[in-house]
Amino acid sequence: MKRSVLRNVGIPLLSLAVLLGLWQAIVVVFNVAPYIMPRPFDAIRAVTDNWSLLWPLILGTIRETVYGFVCGALLGLGLGVIMAKVSFLQKFLYPLLVLSQAVPIIALAPPLVLILGFGIAPKVFIVIWVVFFPVAVNVFDGLTHVDQDLVNLARVYGASRRRTFLQIEIPASATPIFSGLKIGATYAVTGAIIGELYASEGSSLALYQEHANSNLNAAAVYGTTMVMTALGISWFLLVVGTEVLVTPWQRRSVARRPLFRRRTDVVESTAHH
Amino acid sequence: MSPSTLLQLRDVSKAFAETVALEPTSLSIDEGSFVAIVGPSGCGKSTLFNVIAGLTAPDSGEVRLSDQVITGATGHVGYMLQKDLLVPWRTVQDNITMAARLTRRVTNDDRNEARRVAEQYGLGEFLRHYPSALSGGMRQRVAFMRTLVTHQSLLLLDEPFGALDAQTRLEMQQWLLQVWKETGRTVLFITHDVDESIFLSDRILVMSPRPGRVIADLENPLERPRDLDSLTDPKFIELKSRIMRLLHGGAA
Repeated sequence: MKRSVLRNVGIPLLSLAVLLGLWQAIVVVFNVAPYIMPRPFDAIRAVTDNWSLLWPLILGTIRETVYGFVCGALLGLGLGVIMAKVSFLQKFLYPLLVLSQAVPIIALAPPLVLILGFGIAPKVFIVIWVVFFPVAVNVFDGLTHVDQDLVNLARVYGASRRRTFLQIEIPASATPIFSGLKIGATYAVTGAIIGELYASEGSSLALYQEHANSNLNAAAVYGTTMVMTALGISWFLLVVGTEVLVTPWQRRSVARRPLFRRRTDVVESTAHH
Repeated sequence: MSPSTLLQLRDVSKAFAETVALEPTSLSIDEGSFVAIVGPSGCGKSTLFNVIAGLTAPDSGEVRLSDQVITGATGHVGYMLQKDLLVPWRTVQDNITMAARLTRRVTNDDRNEARRVAEQYGLGEFLRHYPSALSGGMRQRVAFMRTLVTHQSLLLLDEPFGALDAQTRLEMQQWLLQVWKETGRTVLFITHDVDESIFLSDRILVMSPRPGRVIADLENPLERPRDLDSLTDPKFIELKSRIMRLLHGGAA
């Protein structure tokens, strides 16, 4: 247990430290001017020193990411299920899905501003736009590759389509569904930042960076990039953590004791006699 | 229909496109009997099973279970394949109660029964294990328990031990005979292994392909209980050579 924690947390942290070390080494060895590339420590300090200014902006980005990701994931899930279940709609929707991703996201911003204005809506819309696609495609692939013998077994038992879907097809697709969510999670923050950059007039994390850039404050520019990256990693890790929690069978050989017994079971078993 | 007939097929046939998978077939299976169906691949064994299970609607004919017509209807038989089809996201106990979970809410009675069956057949310590932690033989046993707790009187077993090594398969055959004796179910057992069909059954249906049909219906004279010595019994050898001739041509 101790050993696996060391491997699973220690090694990724080590690779992060190596990256920062490399950055520091490049700046020192090549004597890079601080207005081109600051030292990592200076970039971090540019963040901590301005934390009270940055925090509301970070919260704004988080809000756009969360709203957009949740809506995009639900939309992707719905589209994936519909396409897997209705062959006509699959043929009808798939080209539209591919088309949606061929549109350059930056080119999407001006019409979005015209339609939705400068508020949170266009940012959330862009996040939805980038998140739903990988989710839909992976859900569709997962559901269409469920072992048909397993589905037949459920039929032999007399299972309804709804129960077969919930008890067999969805859990059997857990891995591809989470792959879609993980890809969506990495895109989500990027989508929110693009939205902030091209569809905001007030304050936002992306505009803060723009502002720092025009003031030749390289440390703040790099620091903001680090903050955005950290947001992306956190969101990805949150999805990974959720996957670990809801798919214990992929790592364990014995199930944990349930935290609580479902009350309905007890009620039912007495009602049966 | 005699009072002890559990399953009756009348002129059941099935074709897929140009291929006749199953010629019009009629047969009755007595309650409590163990009937083996032996034949090469493509002889329509699995089509026959899928018709009985209700997965495939026959082109013609009728399937009756306990004198009730069940043609094309699911939910009336127990069914088990070579693939154990345990779901990796459920524990052994929850896999055993899978049929209940797929049709209604699982009750404590279901869970208790699963525990009792698992304990009775040597898997009591593995109730909370996920299937990935089990060996092939143990997984097949769980799959069989899952079939057993559906309380269907007819169990369709389609090469259930086909993927196991010879040693494990022999253990599983003896285990199956013990469970069959204790539970009094009726078993239809598909295999391409002639030895297995003789070792287990009361009666053997020999099938041949293109078009799939039953070419012989043989009583198995081998006494019960059976053990390893049964495999070298003269009656065993005689029956085996007869089935081999039926399957591979030559004078029957």
